[in-house]
Amino acid sequence: MPKRVALKDSVEVDSVDLSNFARSVRLTSEHTREDVSGFSATGANEYLAGPTDQSLEVEFYGSYGTGEVHETLYPIHKDRTIVPIAWRPDQTTPASATNPELRGNVQLYTYGPGGTRGDVDTFPVTFNAADAAGLEFFTTPLP
Amino acid sequence: MTTYRVVGPAAFRGHQAGEKFDAELDPEQEKRALARGSIKVVNRKPKDQEKEENDA
Repeated sequence: MPKRVALKDSVEVDSVDLSNFARSVRLTSEHTREDVSGFSATGANEYLAGPTDQSLEVEFYGSYGTGEVHETLYPIHKDRTIVPIAWRPDQTTPASATNPELRGNVQLYTYGPGGTRGDVDTFPVTFNAADAAGLEFFTTPLP
Repeated sequence: MTTYRVVGPAAFRGHQAGEKFDAELDPEQEKRALARGSIKVVNRKPKDQEKEENDA
């Protein structure tokens, strides 16, 4: 598997392709670490993996046109809607073993666009996994 | 099955603006997509007609 420069990523929120309005994406998937240490000769701690918290952070360009970033994200946040999200490294080819697609249902708890004079308008958005299926990588395209 | 046309500037479900596609969208997702102007309904077949065509 070659190294890559992130250029062609695909980011879909509620089936809307917002790839061109996004410039970075980062998955966080973390199990809590539960201490189940008992007395032992070594005194070493023992852990089990607990519940999983997952989120996808995307940095978007602020855009307020029809069907663009604000019009897609704000109603989802305002109405507390659970929507599908998808991210894969290469938008020019379908999901495969070498182009795995992250999918899942998410909610948007925080929404905070803004702007600074003279700066490109960008803001981070964190999509939190919203159901038991979580966020998972798939190696086949959606039917 | 419903036929939709992508009308927003952004692609929808992998279909580019102007393209038509057939799908059975979740009613809530369809409502959101129509409200934000991502898609338009081109043709919606009644369930009865769909069943007849599948049975034939």
